[in-house]
Amino acid sequence: MNKLRNILLLAGMLSLGACSEDFLETEPITDLTESNFYQTSDDAYKALVGIYDGLQIIWADGVSFPVASEILSDNAFGGTGNSDGFGYQAIDEFNILRSPSDQNLYGGNWTAYYRAILRANTLLTKMDQIDWSGNEALQTRYEAETRFLRAFFYFDMVRLWGNIPLLTEPSRENVPQANPDDVYKLIAEDLVFAAENLAATSYAAQPTNERGRVTKWAAEALLARVYLYYTGYYGKADLVGTITQAQALAYLEDVIANGGFGLVEDFANLWPAASVANYAGEDNKETVFAIKYTYTSDYDGNTDGNHWLVMLGMREQFSYPYGNGWGGATVNPKLWNAYSANDTRRGATIISIADEGINFTNQPKQREYTGYYNKKYTPMVDEEGNSIAVNNGATNFMIGQFQDYVAIRYADVLLMAAELGSPNAQTYFDAVRERAYKTNFTTISVTKANIMKERQLEFAYEGIRYWDLLRQGISTAAATIAETTTVLNGGTSVTKTIAADKIIETQGLQQIPNTQITLSNGVLKQNPGW
Amino acid sequence: MEIQYPFLNYESHNSIHLKSSVWKILAMLFAFIFIQAHDGIAQGKQAISGKVTGGGQPLPGVSIVIKGTSNGTASDVEGNFTIEAANTDVLVVSYIGFNTQEIPVGNKTQINVALQEDAKALEEVVVIGYGVQQKKLVTGATAQVKGEDLQKQSTTDPLQALQGQAPGVQITSSSGQPGESFRVVVRGVGTTGSAAPLYIVDGVITGDISFLNPADIQSIDVLKDAASAAIYGSQAANGVVLITTKTGKAGQPAQITFDTYVGVQNVARKADLLNSQEYATIMNEASVNSGGLPYFTNEQIATMGTGTNWIDEMFVEDAVTQNYSLGAQGGSENSTFSTSFSYTGQEGIVGGKDLSNYDRYNFRVNSEHSFYNKIVKLGEHLNFAYIENNGVGVGNQYNNSLRAAFNTSPFVSMYDENGNFFDNSNSTWNNGEANPYAQMVYGNQNRRNSQRLVGDIYAVIEPIKNLRFRTSLGLNYTASEYRSYTPVYRLSIYSFNDVSRVSQSLSKGRTLMWDNLLSYNYTLNQNHYFEAMVGTSAFKNDGSSINGGNVDLIISDLEHAYLSNATNTNGTNISLTGAPYSADRRMSYFGRLNYNFKETYLINATLRADGSAKFGSNNRWGYFPSVSTGWVISNESFMANTQNWLSYLKLRGSWGQVGNQDIGYFQYLGLISYLNTNYIFGSEEGVLTSGAYPSRLPNEDIKWEASEQTNFGFDARFFNGKLTANFDWYKKTSKDWLIVAPILATAGANPPYINGGNVTNKGVELALNYSSNIGEFNYSVGVNGAYNKNRVTEIPTADQIIHGDNNLLFDNSLEFYRAQSGFPIGYFWGLKTDGIFQTEAEVAAHTNAEGTLIQPNAAPGDVRYVDLNGDGLISDLDRTQIGNPNPDLTYGITLSGNYKAFDFSFLASGVAGNQLVQSYRNQANQFANYTSAILDRWHGPGSSNTIPRVTLDNRNWTSFSDLYIHDGDYLRISNITVGYDFGKLHTKSYLRKVRLYASVQNLYTFTKYEGMDPEIGYSNGFSSGIDLGYYPRPRTMLIGANITF
Repeated sequence: MNKLRNILLLAGMLSLGACSEDFLETEPITDLTESNFYQTSDDAYKALVGIYDGLQIIWADGVSFPVASEILSDNAFGGTGNSDGFGYQAIDEFNILRSPSDQNLYGGNWTAYYRAILRANTLLTKMDQIDWSGNEALQTRYEAETRFLRAFFYFDMVRLWGNIPLLTEPSRENVPQANPDDVYKLIAEDLVFAAENLAATSYAAQPTNERGRVTKWAAEALLARVYLYYTGYYGKADLVGTITQAQALAYLEDVIANGGFGLVEDFANLWPAASVANYAGEDNKETVFAIKYTYTSDYDGNTDGNHWLVMLGMREQFSYPYGNGWGGATVNPKLWNAYSANDTRRGATIISIADEGINFTNQPKQREYTGYYNKKYTPMVDEEGNSIAVNNGATNFMIGQFQDYVAIRYADVLLMAAELGSPNAQTYFDAVRERAYKTNFTTISVTKANIMKERQLEFAYEGIRYWDLLRQGISTAAATIAETTTVLNGGTSVTKTIAADKIIETQGLQQIPNTQITLSNGVLKQNPGW
Repeated sequence: MEIQYPFLNYESHNSIHLKSSVWKILAMLFAFIFIQAHDGIAQGKQAISGKVTGGGQPLPGVSIVIKGTSNGTASDVEGNFTIEAANTDVLVVSYIGFNTQEIPVGNKTQINVALQEDAKALEEVVVIGYGVQQKKLVTGATAQVKGEDLQKQSTTDPLQALQGQAPGVQITSSSGQPGESFRVVVRGVGTTGSAAPLYIVDGVITGDISFLNPADIQSIDVLKDAASAAIYGSQAANGVVLITTKTGKAGQPAQITFDTYVGVQNVARKADLLNSQEYATIMNEASVNSGGLPYFTNEQIATMGTGTNWIDEMFVEDAVTQNYSLGAQGGSENSTFSTSFSYTGQEGIVGGKDLSNYDRYNFRVNSEHSFYNKIVKLGEHLNFAYIENNGVGVGNQYNNSLRAAFNTSPFVSMYDENGNFFDNSNSTWNNGEANPYAQMVYGNQNRRNSQRLVGDIYAVIEPIKNLRFRTSLGLNYTASEYRSYTPVYRLSIYSFNDVSRVSQSLSKGRTLMWDNLLSYNYTLNQNHYFEAMVGTSAFKNDGSSINGGNVDLIISDLEHAYLSNATNTNGTNISLTGAPYSADRRMSYFGRLNYNFKETYLINATLRADGSAKFGSNNRWGYFPSVSTGWVISNESFMANTQNWLSYLKLRGSWGQVGNQDIGYFQYLGLISYLNTNYIFGSEEGVLTSGAYPSRLPNEDIKWEASEQTNFGFDARFFNGKLTANFDWYKKTSKDWLIVAPILATAGANPPYINGGNVTNKGVELALNYSSNIGEFNYSVGVNGAYNKNRVTEIPTADQIIHGDNNLLFDNSLEFYRAQSGFPIGYFWGLKTDGIFQTEAEVAAHTNAEGTLIQPNAAPGDVRYVDLNGDGLISDLDRTQIGNPNPDLTYGITLSGNYKAFDFSFLASGVAGNQLVQSYRNQANQFANYTSAILDRWHGPGSSNTIPRVTLDNRNWTSFSDLYIHDGDYLRISNITVGYDFGKLHTKSYLRKVRLYASVQNLYTFTKYEGMDPEIGYSNGFSSGIDLGYYPRPRTMLIGANITF
């Protein structure tokens, strides 16, 4: 018995002490960690796709850049539902007092842009630790794509907010806002790197399953756009000492000569709702760069869809082929009237409720109703009124829209080249107009004013007009955008005023999310007027 | 024999067939017992007289009963009594607080009885961590509720039964739906994370206890102060709830029990919505107020009838709740056992059994055996639960079946002419609104079953007397299976589903705990008592889950909703995921030293070290010390002369620290995520290329959250134990919160958890209980209450605020609650209002000191907001605390009594000082229905100063203001039970107890809150009390039986 007691006691003592630190060591099974990722070229590709995924998400929340750009311009009013908040009116009228509680109008976007930038910056800092196994060409290509995407994000941001923290590597520090010149310098350098290092593969020679990847042509075209905006808005002669006008033009001429792009024959065929069966399709020969979307968004974390398209649809009512949406960015009748009746772009750009004989009965739910909705980016339904997106398997019509956002069209390349003084300016200009007017085409001279007018008609609702106005100077922009008119709010006629002095006060810049300013403990400064 | 039973007089057509067999059994029992009860005939009696004393004093009101009968008497003020008895009779002399004596009459005519004070009350033990302790020696703040006091409540969930019985433990149902969890807060919310306490069932950490049958519980002990809880160091910051299930006792004769109840449940109070005519009138008025034309003519309104009452449609009548428990326990000298099997079923009052139901089967066996002259004891606890449940949505505004009823106009019909649910797609009024009942039916086709095995196998070895080694291997095994099905339907232009959908999921997990304890106690010089204990505990949790979904079922109904019956092959609509649980590991070392001198000076010290896999190796270990002392003053000689009124008084004081590690895993690592990270290249829609990205920043320095608590209290017994009092004062400071501190967006990834933030809870708790008798009527009155004050003292972010969520009250609604320094945690943050503008002149007069018109766009009938900062604008700067979801006071009242074979009990519980947010209506929708409260709206000068005018844009409701705030005070009569024990009339030895009883639960609620139920347990983040259309707790009428053989 004593022996038993001793054995039991010993066993007890031993078990009390039984433990080791190893017991507490665990590691994640369904996530990778920073220490075991970024090792192989396959990891690098996955990280690159992660940045494209970031590109897909920048406008999933908040106010999308293209929608904001239209509302801010003279093309559109704020619109939205008659019982919605007044955030879009605050944007439209450059006046936060229209919706004082909207302290974070672009909160979702600010966050999403910096998320995408972290993805790019992280990959760029890891480039050298990755084992490329002799495939250094791949490294150059990935780096070029990454830097293009980073430049794309920063260009959106610096236009919207003007004063933004500039991060070129991952940082948790409380980074103050940078001088815009520094931001533009990084954008220019990134784009030059991309333009110089990406292969000169023409449109037709690109593998179709790689459409959507960044190309040399996209980088060159974006460089010219950045050049025009920066020199215009800031009144400078060149792009922060990096790109001259001649260089910008040379890049565009390269796209025109070697890119293999062309104009789609019918303007309407660029837009699914304007052409339905005759749609030229995504990645058509006019697409220089697009943000690609598809219908696989869900509420379990997949964000692949065009989440902002629904904002632009008719308020809660469909009329084949136009789907229902939230009635944002209603078309300013001035835009409709700016088109000549001979211009095929009018009907391809704008849904006119009266002209198309649509029985729109939902005016009580629509704010700032004008009788016009945009047609380029609008949800679509089949003849029974079912969402095309849902028919394809989307979760619903709000997050399942899959129309790509065409960021740069070849028509823009032509018009920019004309504006930058190409010897072929008239040819380029005429090519764009000839497609628009078809048999009614008559040539006009390629002046700056004519180009700007043409750009409005050509690119309405593509997120370009507002920046074209701003780069002509704040006062020009303010004078063009300001107006006092009447709109129908919930069927009731009300006066609508966009005041020029508010535009001048804000310098055309947008609200920086106030939660970020608070979090930075005042290191970030709000833009004037907000 | 005709039996009239008052609680049978209700109509229950839907459920009577379920219960008829039970009725028959009960009726037969009644008949049987009544016949038997009238057998006894007295014979050969003589008068007996005597005097009863206790502690040398005469005792009045002592019950003297002839054993086996109901014949008896009570002593008078002098302690004297007389009674008629035969010489074969036995007198049973009983008095509260004293041991009952049985005295055979024999030849005696004078019987004096000296009763001994019942020492049991003092010898009672309470469960503390890793052991038990005599109640009189406890130095921490604990609350014990006996299993019988839980079982008496006849509830499905033991936590519901605990409500109102343990001071300082606030229990709120998160929904009235059967099987839904309870929100339990011990001594105030101390964290922005989960405030749930640690649950330990027979030594095994379980996460919750809703799977237990209340009848299986011996006792629930709540460790409230840090000194008591510190022995559980990790996770104990929110308090510890220890559950002990029933065990047999050595030498106890075998006993078989059968307990049952059956009842019906109904909604206690329904919300009153506008009918068609009222709705049309209000819509007309809203349109006119918004500058439009009326929608309806008076003639149209006059002929439109009342429409559909959606609240009526959502509820069912007489939903059944029932329970059957069969148990046995007993023990020989070397073995004890206790076992039970039970079934509990509860139907939901919303939607009824098909949509909202809970069925639970419990099986339990606990036994213990001694070997080798009791040197070794082996035993096990084993609790198994099989649960089937299904339910309707009771979550946020998008997942709340009842809420849809509040927002749908009475114009929508329930059925079309073919008897199908009405499709509102072609409505000329609002084709976007859909039949909420049909949405509930279509959206909640689901079945879930889960199994749980909780228990342990243990061995206790006592090789040397008083040196004890205990080792146990605990298991908490869970498995669950879920299926859901969505049919093809169309109810409105937005509420439709074009393909039948199925999803199926399975998960299982297990927790293993290996505990080892070594304890030794000895007494030195008979006065110094020492007890030392050291131990280790290893905790390991693993598991995995898999789930899949697909569309196009070959046979479209719930019965056939399995993945194999789905015919779709398009990958976009197939979902398939599977993942392991994050591996949870903890290792703990702990020790405790108890010392007392003459059971008068008490001291207790503990130290626990916990290592958790949730922290990096640099901060893995947390150390949690505590110390507590007690002084039993009543043992002192100078207190000798108070013994006649104060028999026991103990002062207590304690201090300790406990921890919390309730965060996600691997916060110390930077994570790369590849889930849901895709891009589409090329033109073929739906074809994705997968990527990866840094998703979360690491915090290598993350460490344990700590809660520090100081407690002072006393326990006292007055008047020979008739009156007991327990009092505590505490201050609990929770610091180094584990919070997801908002990080600057420029960091570009999800923030990790960080440590930071303090909140203080200060309060007092008091429990009083008075037990006495008036003759044979024994009674007990208990009141308990807890006052708590909650203040956030520090938030480590630049703005000193943790912001609440958006989009909770209605579509796109903004932040309305916060955690902020200087305020209660989760306080309601909004605008103050100052009545309603009655006239244009009042609008013009609403200016700040500089004369700036504050609300230039307001019209008469709009709300006048208070411009708190005087800047002439209504903005966020004018928002302030307009409500507090944390009650100041929680309290409970218990009454019980018995007279002969009758017994009676009453339980009420309440809260005071908290506010609720009521948001039934989606204010982003101009056509949503209103409750009838809107009939008192402003509609002309002087018509209302509290409810603004109606408008189509709902402008008076889109800013969160005190219009949403309601006082949440209530007192609920939770349970009244009346029982009769036929076993007391009847001396047959094989039937010890045959008690029949009837209960009403949730009989009445005293409250000013006009919602369906003021007990709103729905919470979001760290706030609570948010009524979005709350599934109310039912009113239940039931009858039951407790039979012991």
